[in-house]
Amino acid sequence: MSQTLNPAAFMNNPDTHSGVTNAKLGVWLFLASEIMLFATLFTSYIVLRMGATSWPWGWDVLNVPLATLNTVILISSSVTIVMAYAKAYDKNKSGFQGWMAATLALSFGFLVVKAFEYGAEFKLGIGPHTSVFYAIYFTMTGLHGIHILGGIAVNGGLLYMSSVKEHWENPLFLGRVEGAGLYWHFVDIVWIFLFPALYLL
Amino acid sequence: MSHDEHGHHKLTFWEKYIFSVDHKVIGLQYLITSFVFLLVGFGLMMLMRWQLAFPGTPIPFFGNLFPADLAPNGVMSGEFYNALGAMHGTIMVFLGVVPLAVGAYGNYVLPLQIGAPDMAFPRMNMMSYWLYLPGGALMLSSFLMPGGAAQSGWTSYPPLSIINPGQTLWLLSMVILITSSLLGAINFLVTTINMRAPGMSLWRMPVFCWAQFVTAVLLLLAFPPLEAASVLQLMDRVFHTSFYMPKDLVILGKAYAGSGGGQPLLWQHLFWFLAHPEVYVLVLPPMGIVAEIIANNTRKPLHGYKTMVFSMVAIGVMSFLVWAHHMFISGMSPALGNFFLVTTMIISVPSVAILTCLIFSLKGASIRYNVPMLFALAFLPLFGIGGLTGLPLGLTVTDIYLHDTYYVIGHFHFVVVTGSIIALMGGTYHWFPKWFGRKMNDTLGLIHFWGSTASMVGIFLPMLFMGLAGASRRLYDPTAQLHNLPVQGWNVVSTISAYLLALFQLPFIYNFFNSLFNGEKTPENPWQATTLEWACPSPPPHGNFAKTPRVYRGPYEYSVPGRKTDFWMQTDPS
Amino acid sequence: MSNNKDARRDEHRPDVGLYVKVFAALMVLTMITVAISKFHLPRPQAIALGLFVAVIKASLVGALFMHLWGENKLIHRTLFIVAGGAAILILPLIDCVMISHRITSPADVASQHPHEGGHAATHEEK
Repeated sequence: MSQTLNPAAFMNNPDTHSGVTNAKLGVWLFLASEIMLFATLFTSYIVLRMGATSWPWGWDVLNVPLATLNTVILISSSVTIVMAYAKAYDKNKSGFQGWMAATLALSFGFLVVKAFEYGAEFKLGIGPHTSVFYAIYFTMTGLHGIHILGGIAVNGGLLYMSSVKEHWENPLFLGRVEGAGLYWHFVDIVWIFLFPALYLL
Repeated sequence: MSHDEHGHHKLTFWEKYIFSVDHKVIGLQYLITSFVFLLVGFGLMMLMRWQLAFPGTPIPFFGNLFPADLAPNGVMSGEFYNALGAMHGTIMVFLGVVPLAVGAYGNYVLPLQIGAPDMAFPRMNMMSYWLYLPGGALMLSSFLMPGGAAQSGWTSYPPLSIINPGQTLWLLSMVILITSSLLGAINFLVTTINMRAPGMSLWRMPVFCWAQFVTAVLLLLAFPPLEAASVLQLMDRVFHTSFYMPKDLVILGKAYAGSGGGQPLLWQHLFWFLAHPEVYVLVLPPMGIVAEIIANNTRKPLHGYKTMVFSMVAIGVMSFLVWAHHMFISGMSPALGNFFLVTTMIISVPSVAILTCLIFSLKGASIRYNVPMLFALAFLPLFGIGGLTGLPLGLTVTDIYLHDTYYVIGHFHFVVVTGSIIALMGGTYHWFPKWFGRKMNDTLGLIHFWGSTASMVGIFLPMLFMGLAGASRRLYDPTAQLHNLPVQGWNVVSTISAYLLALFQLPFIYNFFNSLFNGEKTPENPWQATTLEWACPSPPPHGNFAKTPRVYRGPYEYSVPGRKTDFWMQTDPS
Repeated sequence: MSNNKDARRDEHRPDVGLYVKVFAALMVLTMITVAISKFHLPRPQAIALGLFVAVIKASLVGALFMHLWGENKLIHRTLFIVAGGAAILILPLIDCVMISHRITSPADVASQHPHEGGHAATHEEK
C-alpha cells in the first residue's frame, strides 16, 4: 500500500483534521451505534415492563450472588485492560502481555459463570419462552455475552500481535490497544446497567 | 480501469477487482450490484402488476416457470403475491436505492470531492460490500425456502410477521445488511471529518459531500434500533419469546402457544424510528447529486449554498422526530399523534427550502441541456409532487381516510422513484466520464430519459387517483371489492406504464455497457466543473491524486467576472 | 518518526494510581447496590437508588478508564449527539404510558382477563 494511504499522513493538516486519530474516532462512532442499540433494548425493556400486569423481583427468580461475582469479574477486567494500556504506553512488552492475558482470563471467567447461571435455569425448564421477563433477561444478557466474545477476539488478537515485532513496534499499536480498551469499557458499562436492571430492581 | 497500475506491487485479479480495498472499485461493485438488485426488485413488481391489472389470468410467458404451489396454472397465488410485495419493498429500499446512493456514489465520489486518497478504513470498506452482497443473496434465497419468502410487507408488522413463514431469513439478512450499513456510515463520517485535503474546510465542501455526511449520521443513529428490534423479532420467531405477541392472541381459532404479554406497537415504533430517517437517506444523496449537476450546467453558483446545507442538517435532526406519522391509526396515543403531526409539518420546511434553492439556481442561467441536466430538471417538479402529496398523509385528519390506500403508494413512489432514482440515473450520466474516461451516448440517453420519466408518471399518477377513490393497498385481487371496480382501469394504465418503463431501461443498459468500451473518450474535466473529482485523471489511479491537492476556494465558482474561463476550479491557485 | 509523534498526540498519559482508586470505588459501589437490594425497598425507591448508583459507576468508567475527562471536544460532541438520539427513544415510552392505562388499569384487566390477578407472579416463583 502506498504511503499516501497511511491515515497518519493526514494528521499534518491541522486546518482540516480534527486532531483525533481515525482509529479512535472510528471506535467512538462504533460505540455511538452500540449506545443506540442498547438504548433501544433498554427502551423495549421499559415498555414491556410498563405494559406487563406483574413483574417479578430479579432476586426472587435469578441468581444474584453469581451475577455479583460476574460484576466483580467484569470490573476487574476493565482495570486489567487499562493497566495493559498503561504498559503499552511505557513500551513494556511483558507487562502488556501479562495484563492482557489477565483480561482474557477474566473474560473467560465471566462466560463460565454465565454458563453456570444459564445451565441452572435451563435445568429448571426455564427459557426465553417462559415469560416476557425471561425473554428480556436471556436476550439482553445473551447479546451482552456476544459482545464479550467479540471483545475476547479483539483482545486475543492484540495479545498475539504484541508478540510479533512488526506489530508491536508499529506506531499505531498503542491506538489499537486504546480502541480495544474503549470497547471493553463500554461492554463493562452495559453490564453496570444490566446488573441492577435485571437482578436488583 | 486498466490504467491504474503504477508498478509498486502487482495486484492479482482478485485483489484488484473482487476483494479490492480501493474505494473506486468498491464503489463500482456497489453500483453494479445495486443496479442488479433494482432490476430484480422491479421484476418482482412487474409480476405483481400483472395480477393487479388482470387478476386471475395466467402470467404470460413466465407463469408456467413457477412451481405449482406459488402459481397454480400460471395464476399467481395470494401467498406468492404477498411474498413478492414484501420482497419488492425490501429489495428496492435496502438493497437497491440506499446502496446505490450511499455505497456507490458516496464511495466513489465523496473521497474524490474532498481530495482524499481513499476512505479512512479501506479494509472496512471492503467488508461493508462483502456483507452487503451475501446479505442480499440471503434475502433473495428466501424465495427458495419451504414456505417461501417473507410475506408481511417490508414493514414486517407483528403479530403477522411472527406467524407467517419466511420471516426468519428476512430478519437474519436485515441484521447483516444493517451491520454493513453501519460500517459504511462510520467510514464515511471518519473520512469526511479527518481526510479532507488541506484548505478543504467544511464550508468549502460540495453539497453532495454534506448530503453524504448527514446521511451517514442518520444511518449511524437510526439503524441500531432496527437491529435491536430485528433481534427481538428473531427471538420471537426462533425461541418463541413474546416481545411483540400480545396476551390472549387467537390465531385461526387457536390460542397462541407463547407466553404473551408483548407489545405489537413496540415494533412499529422501532421500525419507523429507522424507516423514517431512512426515507431521508433515500432522498438526501440524490438531492446532493442534483445540486452538483445543476450548478455545473447552469454555469453559475448555487443559489443559497449555506441555506441548503443548513436545511439538510435540519432535515437530519427533524427526521428522528416524525416517525409516528406512519402510525396515526395504529392505536397509538392520539395526543402523541398531534406532536408528530406538528413535527411532520415542520420537517417539510427545510425540504421545501432545498427545492426552492435548486429552482432559484436556474433563474437567469443559460442552461446546458445535456442528459444529466435533464434528469436533474425532471427531479425538481416530480420530487415536488412527491413531497406535496405527503402533506395530507402527515395531517391526522386526512390520514384517517388516506392511510393504507394506493395514495400512500403513489406518494412515496413519486418521492423515491421520480425523485431519488431519477437523480441517481442522472448521476450515472454525470460521473460516467470520471469512472471510465468515456462518455455515454446522448441519443440513447435522451430516449432513456423521456421514456423513463413519462412511464414513471404513468405508473404512479393513477395510484394517486385510485387512492383518492379509496382503493386499499396490498390487495391480492383488487376486483374483489366493489368500491375498487370504478378505478380498476387505472390499474391497467399503471401496469402498461410499468412494462414500458422496463422497455425504456434497455437503451440505458445497452448504453452503459457499450459506452464502457466504445464511448467517446473524454478529457479529465469534460463538463468543465469546479469540484475536486474533476482535478484527477479519468479514471483516477490508485491513490487518486498524484500529489495531495490544495483547495483555495468554495465549490461553485462559476462565471466569476474577470476570468478567462467560466469555471474556477477549487484547486486552481490563481 | 514524525508519524509516531503525531499518533501519540491524542493519546492519554496513563495514571496507574488513579486506576486503582477507581477500581476500589467501583467495588464499593457494587457492594452498595447489592446491599440496598437486601432491604427490599418499595419499587420506586429501589429503582431510583439502583439507577443512581449505576450512573455513578458508569460515569467513573467513562470519565477515567475511557479517558473522556480531557478528551478531544469532537468526541464529546459526538456523544452529545448520540445522547440526543437516544433521548428520542423516550417517545415510545410516552406513548406506552399514555395508552397503558387502557391495557393494565385494574378495572380493564378485571373485565377482559378474569383469571389474571397475580397469576404471572406465582408462576415466576417456582
